[in-house]
Amino acid sequence: MKEQHNRRRNAYKAANGHFDFVLLIVVLFLVAFGLLMIYSASSYKAGLDYGDPAYFLKKQLLSTLIGFGALIVTVRIPYRLWKELDLWIGLVGILVIPLVKIPGLGVTANGATRWIDLNIVTVQPAEITKLCMIIYLAAVIAKLGKNIRTRKGLMIALIPPTIAAILIYAITKNLSSAVIVMGIAVAMLFVALPNYKVFVVSGIAVIAVVVGVVLYAVSGSDVESFRLLRVQAWLHPEDFSTDKAFQTLQSLYAIGSGGIWGKGLGQSMQKMGFLPEAQNDMIFSILCEELGLFGAITVIFLFAILIWSCMVIANNTEDMFGALLVVGVMAHFAIQVILNIGVVTNTIPNTGITLPFISYGGSSIVFLLIEIGLVLNVSRGMREQ
Amino acid sequence: MGFFMAGFKTKHKRKAFVMCMLCVLVLAALIVRVGYLMIGRSEHYTYLAEVLHERERDIKAARGRIIDRNGIVLADNETVCTVSVIYNQIEEPERVIEMLSKELGLTEEYVRKRVEKYSARERIKSNVDKETGDRIRNMDLAGVKVDEDYKRYYPYGSLASKVLGFTGADNQGIIGLEVKYEEYLTGLKGKILTVTDARGVEIEDVGEKRQEPIAGGDLHISIDVNIQQYATQLAMQTYETKQADSVSMIVMNVNNGEILAMADVPEFDLNDPFTLQDIWVQENVEEGEEVPSEQDLLNAMWRNGCINDTYEPGSIFKIITAAAGLEESVVTLEEGFHCPGYIIVDDRKIRCSKVGGHGAQSFLEGFQNSCNPVFINLGLRIGTERYYSYFNKYQMMNRTGIDLPGEAGTIMHKQENVGNVELATISFGQSFQITPIRLMATVAGIINGGNVVTPHFGRYVISEDKETIEEFEYSVTEGIVSEETSEKMRYMLETVVSEGGGSKAYIEGFEIGGKTATSQTLPRSANRYISSFLGFWPASEPQVMALVIIDNPQGMYYGGQIAAPVVKQLFENILPYLEDMDYNE
Repeated sequence: MKEQHNRRRNAYKAANGHFDFVLLIVVLFLVAFGLLMIYSASSYKAGLDYGDPAYFLKKQLLSTLIGFGALIVTVRIPYRLWKELDLWIGLVGILVIPLVKIPGLGVTANGATRWIDLNIVTVQPAEITKLCMIIYLAAVIAKLGKNIRTRKGLMIALIPPTIAAILIYAITKNLSSAVIVMGIAVAMLFVALPNYKVFVVSGIAVIAVVVGVVLYAVSGSDVESFRLLRVQAWLHPEDFSTDKAFQTLQSLYAIGSGGIWGKGLGQSMQKMGFLPEAQNDMIFSILCEELGLFGAITVIFLFAILIWSCMVIANNTEDMFGALLVVGVMAHFAIQVILNIGVVTNTIPNTGITLPFISYGGSSIVFLLIEIGLVLNVSRGMREQ
Repeated sequence: MGFFMAGFKTKHKRKAFVMCMLCVLVLAALIVRVGYLMIGRSEHYTYLAEVLHERERDIKAARGRIIDRNGIVLADNETVCTVSVIYNQIEEPERVIEMLSKELGLTEEYVRKRVEKYSARERIKSNVDKETGDRIRNMDLAGVKVDEDYKRYYPYGSLASKVLGFTGADNQGIIGLEVKYEEYLTGLKGKILTVTDARGVEIEDVGEKRQEPIAGGDLHISIDVNIQQYATQLAMQTYETKQADSVSMIVMNVNNGEILAMADVPEFDLNDPFTLQDIWVQENVEEGEEVPSEQDLLNAMWRNGCINDTYEPGSIFKIITAAAGLEESVVTLEEGFHCPGYIIVDDRKIRCSKVGGHGAQSFLEGFQNSCNPVFINLGLRIGTERYYSYFNKYQMMNRTGIDLPGEAGTIMHKQENVGNVELATISFGQSFQITPIRLMATVAGIINGGNVVTPHFGRYVISEDKETIEEFEYSVTEGIVSEETSEKMRYMLETVVSEGGGSKAYIEGFEIGGKTATSQTLPRSANRYISSFLGFWPASEPQVMALVIIDNPQGMYYGGQIAAPVVKQLFENILPYLEDMDYNE
């Protein structure tokens, strides 16, 4: 209780009242920036394919408005309510995934069934799952208290997200969303558990496996499996320029030709049909091409502020559930930003991950804004402690 | 770090901070990575991206013009347009189809097929005149493109067609000077680097990079359009009145080899060189006769008889025999000869053109009479070996080096095969073949004081910005005859016109020199003749020489009767003009 009093004296809280405006402004800026970039990246192709250069912008604008509506609602509902619904939310997070298999509801695009059609909008269940798992994990870890350190506690926390991740991968063939769900779970447990050892060991283990796979791929084994080719394409994109590394290479062309100052907003060449998914997974490349290194650094900086703000809110929230909610959201953003920029810069092998707030994607922005709503809600609660 | 860490009272806050810092560190690493790509690898990827985006389009360079010695343009460029459509940019296909079919005179069906074809750029029609092209462009219909292009244009149509030559579809020279001076005329193509999207469609508002073309140089030639026109008219008139197979005429400056006119009628239309003229169209081909291909006929139509074909020069060649004889001092002008109308060489009886014979005559009179026995006698006196050495000295075995493609070589007996009979026939210009231009160049050398010049057209090339790119120089073989012999030859040739067989070329008030020739073509039984006359002026100090060759004239066929008057008419027309022009500076 004494700690709580200390926290209350924190100057940060006094200055901000019961709302984290820094976070909100950063988010607003990113959303606005995202809309601008979506229009820039998609208008040429949209004009050709749909006869309306603003086709994608309009759809994204609608989703954004829905998202802000959801954010306002989320901010008004006390977040503690969700803690009591933890099991239900966890169940929803898992059960929502197989919905894509229901005929008439599932939407297939690019050979993968990842969306469900709600008539007005299509929703990617994985986005719901991510949100649900953040709430579920925060709730069970907070409820378990010190028991989280027991085997049983770990099981309770880890099994639902693991099931969710497996389902996402098995049903929707969406490896990256599965990785994100597991990543969020691991990150939240990392914060909740007092020790480092197990994380450092498993971190080293993961790195060892990655290095092993890369060395195996490089050693020129004639096992031409899909994933090994992907590794090869990652290491030598220019040798796979027509198929496996096509998108990556086009992305590098875009980034590289941006230079320090960029070609200017709207001046991208790569968006003229050269770079697939220009307004989607690859939007950061177009951003680099048009706004240069400065634009790229600015955006990365904004994400860093966003992550930092989350950490500050988490660490100023005495309520364990609230703090862990914020940590989960922070992990979610961090993982997606890092993986997305990692992919477009060919730092890691290509996998489909969107850049939060900036990539085109209707359901994504709605759930991302709900998550921000949760964080703002928690930040609001800081004073009431 | 310690400052922050110290503040954390609970482990999970510390770990949240650690996680946040890890994320920020990774983000910082990604900034480094992005920075590396955007600075370190920028040049590399920018280059690759540009290669991907850019399409290269050529801009044709204007071909250099061909200009006569008075500055009159003989080969020019006409701006023509190519009309094409870009499928993705067309907004009103029906209007475009209607307008294009109307303006270009094409069927609606034809235009529709192309307008509705899904392609990056579809050509509708090329070689559209500029006026129509401008009209279409001004309508400003989306998706319709009008590109300007050059087309060769010859203002004088068929004039000097075989000399100038023409160009093909790619604006490259095909025959004549157009081929010979290709490297000067062609210019350097420019380039437009356009930027396209992934489908290859040009992006309009992106600035295009242009590399301007460099126009070809203007070739200034020695032809004088006025003389060329007189010569062609006369040749054509002779061609028609004599119903000849062809009439060739060359007018040359004897002192520097500049050709003032070269006509070889029938000529052909340079603006439509691929259409056979009526006379070349084969009618009533007899059974069993081999039908020449259209290309063979075209080649025949384009052939320049003055340089591409050889003929038996006949009596004009006596100039060479006479010069050799005088140089060797085996004869003098005054020496007496007797002509009984024939001469027996070994066991062959060779007739003189005058059946009853010329009787007693001096060598000069024999030359004026063009008496075969006198020259056979002279040829035998000189002997094969000496004769051939003069033949070589006079450059008769070499091509002249005229700046036109396809000059034919001399067809002569091998020296070791020449017996008295062969030597006898060579002496008066039979049994071997040379080109008209070869004959002219050598005779010019004999009468101009002994310098065999290189006949030529090209004088200099001037670039678009009036700089001289090249002034052509031509070789001269000096001292082929002595000045004394040259002077004697001039005198002898003048008397041919004033007193002898060339009298029909005589013009009051002008001293003209010349020599007639009438040669029977092979086989002798066909009774086909070639009549020719070579004339020059002024006889004592020659400046200009003209040669006319009438191939297979009908009716009267003696060179002195039908060829000499042609040269007379030519000189009557051009000599007063040449006196004013003073081409020898």
